[in-house]
Amino acid sequence: MKSIAKYVFTSRILLLLYRNLFAAIDKMFLIWQILLPVFQIYIMGYAYSALIGDQGISVGAISISYVSFLTAGMMAFNVMQGSQIAGTIFWNDKRNGMFQQILAMPFNKIQYVIANLVTLIIIGLTSATAIILIGLPTIFQDINISLWSMSYTIFALVAGSVFFGSFTIILSTKMKSSETYNVFSNGLFIFFIFVSSVFYPAEGLPQPLSTAFYFNPLTYIADITRAGIFSQIDTFTNLEVLVLTLFAVGAFVIATRAMVKLQI
Amino acid sequence: MKVAENIPLLDNGNKDCIVVTNLKKQYGKEKAYVLNGISFTVKYGTVFGFLGPNGAGKTTTLKILTSLLNPSSGSVYIFGKDLFKKQSEIKRKIGVVSQNPSFEANLTVERSLDLYGLLWGLSDRRARKDKVKEILKTFDLESIKNSKNDELSIGQRRRVQLAREFMHDMDLLFLDEPTVGLDPSARRMLLDYIKKHVMSGLTVFFTTHIMEEAEYLCDEIAIIDRGKIIAFDTPMGLKQKYGGMNKTIEITFKDTLNEPFLDILRNIIKGSKKDDKGLNGNVNNSISEINLKGGNTIRIKVDNTEKVISEIFQVVPKNGMEIENISVDSPSLEEIFLSVVSNSKDNSNSGV
Repeated sequence: MKSIAKYVFTSRILLLLYRNLFAAIDKMFLIWQILLPVFQIYIMGYAYSALIGDQGISVGAISISYVSFLTAGMMAFNVMQGSQIAGTIFWNDKRNGMFQQILAMPFNKIQYVIANLVTLIIIGLTSATAIILIGLPTIFQDINISLWSMSYTIFALVAGSVFFGSFTIILSTKMKSSETYNVFSNGLFIFFIFVSSVFYPAEGLPQPLSTAFYFNPLTYIADITRAGIFSQIDTFTNLEVLVLTLFAVGAFVIATRAMVKLQI
Repeated sequence: MKVAENIPLLDNGNKDCIVVTNLKKQYGKEKAYVLNGISFTVKYGTVFGFLGPNGAGKTTTLKILTSLLNPSSGSVYIFGKDLFKKQSEIKRKIGVVSQNPSFEANLTVERSLDLYGLLWGLSDRRARKDKVKEILKTFDLESIKNSKNDELSIGQRRRVQLAREFMHDMDLLFLDEPTVGLDPSARRMLLDYIKKHVMSGLTVFFTTHIMEEAEYLCDEIAIIDRGKIIAFDTPMGLKQKYGGMNKTIEITFKDTLNEPFLDILRNIIKGSKKDDKGLNGNVNNSISEINLKGGNTIRIKVDNTEKVISEIFQVVPKNGMEIENISVDSPSLEEIFLSVVSNSKDNSNSGV
């Protein structure tokens, strides 16, 4: 009996996932998801490399080029950027009446939240793969990936999608209009991007700023992704995995509760 | 949420598809009850009309019955099962067309019907395709099947929304003002299509502001106002119960009417007014005076029709007049609705 219920629960999530991927997402958004990091890797990466000079950037025990550092950071950035989809799907569904309609069908709010998060995970992993393939010429000399280290990168992207997806869902449920939601999410995302190790390492920064980096989940996503790609897993990486897990689980629980409490 | 302990199940031979008992809803502890203890039943294979003025509590009731909202207290049984315990099971057998439009903006009409079928578990591709074809034809959507939903007019979008609901099999259909935005032929087509499905066993919970539709479609009607059900019967029953006071008599005389004779008629109506009691025993002040139509026809709205007619018959020959034609019109459901709601307001204003 329990296994039937489990099957029904999963199949409903898969149906909503199918709907999200083929009906709810704007294709232009997906294209932009790939184009923006490519632009940043090739234009910003090489422009800043010229500014920084030949000195490498330390990741664990090795030193890598800035472009390689940035490519891994862009994968983390892309996860956060892609999480906007969860908010967009929710707002579009509310505006077009589909949120209410879906909940009047044999779906519940928890299935709706999980389907949105799985959508983000798929988009996050796909675009990360695309970024690494497109950015391969830039990181070719530094990349050193094994099956074991790759699992860290995948974990960072999945947990990052869950955290930021849940975060945008929480914001969406608390905001009264899509305009307010956009203003808030864009403002907060700027903070997340620049107070993180996406573009630059935390080491060597003034102490207060360096500490602030570690209150930001995006730092953990970027650090773990890098550690995976360049096989630099150490105790600190494992500690970061633990903290990111807590961030992701906490955000997921709050998002689910916020959605369940939401008045239709 | 408190659920009533007395389960109103099956003691009438399981003829009730929906059983609502003492349902209450309050949006905040300090706020007034939007639903104040409503109870009603809906029989299997019938159309139940749920009418009421704006803000009466119709949509709140509908949201509770479709599991979109939790009540503050009371119980709801659908298909003999507790809605709040067997929500998922019940939802698999119901369809909902809400008042607000709902559509997948990026999809074509054909694709959105197909997706809706899939979401409802119609996994066989061929069966889904056949069903889409049938629905497109039935709802006259073939010409717009390749148009995207956000390119459609409001009426077309509404038609797609309604058509979409018939992509899956269901035992109970909730329709919240479904014909808003539809042209008369589409409206009639929809009502007939629903009737056909009702004949084959579908139960329909129907809210509307268009009384002709309610009269055409509904087997039973409940009128709700300020969170309370103020009238509940068949359309005919409502007319019989509340319609007596508003019958219209139209009499055409052979000769032109003169002022002394009209005064006699006025006195007859005045006399009938003394006995006239409206709903809940209030004196009914809504009876109109004699309306002259042309020189020889009068229209009178009266409560005590038979008494008035018999008195008029007595005075006509005495005054040398002759009746050419006489007719008595029953009030429309709209008149009943207006009268019932207006009386409910009067009663609540006077603290009755």
